[in-house]
Amino acid sequence: MPLFGLFDIGKSALFASQTALSVTSHNIANVNTPGYTRQDVVFKIANPENMHAGSLGRGVTVSSIKRQYDRFIQSQLLGQHQNYGKSFAMNQTLGQVEQVFNEAQGMGIATALSEYLNAWNDVSANPEGYTQRVVLLQKANALVTNAKQMERGITDSLKRSNEEIKGIGDQINSIASQIADINGSIVQAESGSGSGNANDLRDQRDSLLNDLAELVDFSTYEDANGAITVTVGMRSLVYGENTNTFSTRMNTDGFREVYLAGSNITSSVQKGKLGGLIGVRDNVTSNILHDFRKLVASLIKETNQVHSAGYGLDASTGNNFFNSLQINTSGSSDNASVTSASITNMAALTLDEYDVTFDAANNYFVHNRQTGSLVTSGAYVSGGAIAFDGIQVAVSGTVNAADHFTVSPLEGAIANFGVAVSDQQKIAASSSGSGLPGNNANAIQIADLFNSSITDLGDTGFMDYYQGIVSNAGTLSRAASNSLQFDDNLLAEISNRRDSVSGVSLDEEAANLIRYQRSYEAGARMIKITDELLQTILNL
Amino acid sequence: MRVTSQMVYNQLRRALQGNLSELAEKNTRLYTGKKIDKPSDDVIGMMNAMGYRVSISGNEQYQRNINEANTNLELSGTVMKSLADGLLKMKQLTSTGSDAQSQENRDRYAQEAAGLRDFFLGLSNTKAGNRYLFSGYQSDQKAFVYNSVTHAYDYQGDLGEIKVPVDKGADVSINIQGSRAFSFKVSSEMPAKLADGTPVSTSQTTDPSTGITTTTIEIGNAGDPAHDTFSFSNIMDLTNVMSYAWKYQDIDGTALHSNSGTNELMALHRIMALTVPLDSARSQALNMEAEAGIRRVQIRDQNTRLTATNLNLKNALTATEDADMTETITDIKKIEVALDALRASSASIMSKSLFDFLTAV
Repeated sequence: MPLFGLFDIGKSALFASQTALSVTSHNIANVNTPGYTRQDVVFKIANPENMHAGSLGRGVTVSSIKRQYDRFIQSQLLGQHQNYGKSFAMNQTLGQVEQVFNEAQGMGIATALSEYLNAWNDVSANPEGYTQRVVLLQKANALVTNAKQMERGITDSLKRSNEEIKGIGDQINSIASQIADINGSIVQAESGSGSGNANDLRDQRDSLLNDLAELVDFSTYEDANGAITVTVGMRSLVYGENTNTFSTRMNTDGFREVYLAGSNITSSVQKGKLGGLIGVRDNVTSNILHDFRKLVASLIKETNQVHSAGYGLDASTGNNFFNSLQINTSGSSDNASVTSASITNMAALTLDEYDVTFDAANNYFVHNRQTGSLVTSGAYVSGGAIAFDGIQVAVSGTVNAADHFTVSPLEGAIANFGVAVSDQQKIAASSSGSGLPGNNANAIQIADLFNSSITDLGDTGFMDYYQGIVSNAGTLSRAASNSLQFDDNLLAEISNRRDSVSGVSLDEEAANLIRYQRSYEAGARMIKITDELLQTILNL
Repeated sequence: MRVTSQMVYNQLRRALQGNLSELAEKNTRLYTGKKIDKPSDDVIGMMNAMGYRVSISGNEQYQRNINEANTNLELSGTVMKSLADGLLKMKQLTSTGSDAQSQENRDRYAQEAAGLRDFFLGLSNTKAGNRYLFSGYQSDQKAFVYNSVTHAYDYQGDLGEIKVPVDKGADVSINIQGSRAFSFKVSSEMPAKLADGTPVSTSQTTDPSTGITTTTIEIGNAGDPAHDTFSFSNIMDLTNVMSYAWKYQDIDGTALHSNSGTNELMALHRIMALTVPLDSARSQALNMEAEAGIRRVQIRDQNTRLTATNLNLKNALTATEDADMTETITDIKKIEVALDALRASSASIMSKSLFDFLTAV
């Protein structure tokens, strides 16, 4: 081996140390970069030279620069980001809804309801009193305002959820196109022989996937070229360098549904903020909002039934105290529509919501929306009346099996809630005949409603039923905040494990800095000695 | 486990956040004075607190009803007392005025009886607020008015019993109907003969729709010159008959008989015959006074019970929702100590790395 070979070994040591120093510097520079994965230099013994005495080493080469990366932890992290996103969204919305029922701070309707009841009591103690009657009307109006404010509080937060779902759709599109771009760059960088991994690009892509995971649940797989495919609800969002468009549309209930590549994937979105928002929206609508409307509808129904049987100071009778309940219908059909919907028998009304569907043989079916049980069915005749539970609806036009209408006495219960009596004389405190100002029997009966079990409310009283709603709102919010806490802790724990494997330790890098500095110095010394050796020979 | 800079920083951040949010929560508790700030803080506690509050408000309403009932019953009782006193005075008049008197005396008796009659009429039309106390459900009508055609006092009220709830499922009547207070049945002590041996017969009919009992008294036998029949249906009628009797007149102001001797006899018979009905009226008034009193005792007991219940409920409410200040402040101190320790230790950990020592080498 010639003396110049020593130069080569020294040079390889210098190059290797210099590479290691730049990797160390890169690590130090990115100590605070989120999603950065620590890189390590992998040294390799250079190919030896074979001599008759054996093989002689030719120094060191850098075989690769490796990411300290654990694929398993990364996939756990993605899953946990999805859980966290869901809990976050649920906690946010349920926290807002809970505030609507925050009886601890005097929100909610309990006070207004008690005062309204007390006003009836005052009227019963003084049935001929003008003041008591006027106060009753004021308290009833306050109750109406209060109920409307509460409903608006709930629907407003549902509306915000809808807006947020739209915003998240835009974010998902933006992230998807960035992932697609990086996919292209990675394939380009890693193609061709001898190229290593595109470490920094992969870090960027992992960060984007973490961001995406907070928004929606998805699955990924990486192909042989290094590009990943992202699928949401069995549809591809990103494939190679291409993306499908994520969009949202309003359905007939006024809720946004999500579409990917033109197909409705709402029901398959379970996690991430999007899954949380969709889940909590359905939950709030079908539980809390439904129950609250049912409470008000029941109050209207029961009060009106007793009130209309009584007599006012002016001997008028048959008057409703609150505006009468109305039937709301909505639905989707190409050729048919609901032409009329009304309450035919108030006493038979059960305050349930119904789905009207049709089959290919032109029969109609009415199902209870909450329990799913069949209420009635029959042969469909265009314009013919469909009657059930005190309600009568008429559908006209040609129906087909895909048509679907909902019939609800509850939907507009609070929107139409109002005091029908404006003249205090018409308050029916009396149970009989004309001109009996001292008769308070009907007022007592209305006040007594608050001590009775109401059949429509599952044999509970108004107050008990309302307590159930508050308890429901509290429990849901409690559960959401518990699971947010849990998911946050778990996310922190997994991030911690990721940081343990992939994070930069300044102590470690400082040690490496010295190590590679020393090895650089030693390599340089070797070249100097080789030079001296050469000098010696030249001076012979 | 390998420890990296990011881990140290993240753990510190989380620990600080955890402590600070706990501190904020306790602080909220301190300035609201409540340990339940929203339903999810304690769902069961919140439900209980709501239940207590609803019960308290309901009980306070019952107490307001009781106050209203008490006012009415107290007034009714006082009226009955005055009525009984007035009737006693009437009785005194009959005991001294049941024989032939001078014209001046008779005028005085007649005047006094007329005064008492008007006093009774005033009592029967007592108003509490804008309610005539003794008119039943017809509370905007005077209970009794003078009928200038029949010269009788007509009841305009009914049998309506105004009830107010004083507890769940418990009502109390707050009025005494005029027919029970001012109309009465003549007791069985009514003699069959007057002191001078003239036969007397009494018949009574009660109108079921108003409860007014009309009493008809027949003095003497049919065909006698002094045969007399008259009727009354309430205390005002009764005193009216007597007032005119002292004038030796019927209630329409005409003489009882054209013969002055017979006329006097008939008038004195009337006064004598009305002694027992006066007693009956008086005992009726006293009974009604007692009844009002009994009802008042009953609702006063109920009121005491409600006050005690509400006190218990308010205690329970406080125990459920109010924060224990001492405990809260102690908790805050504890968290502050932990927070200080965390800040001190993290300051020294975060500032040190190998680089600090390299420069010194």
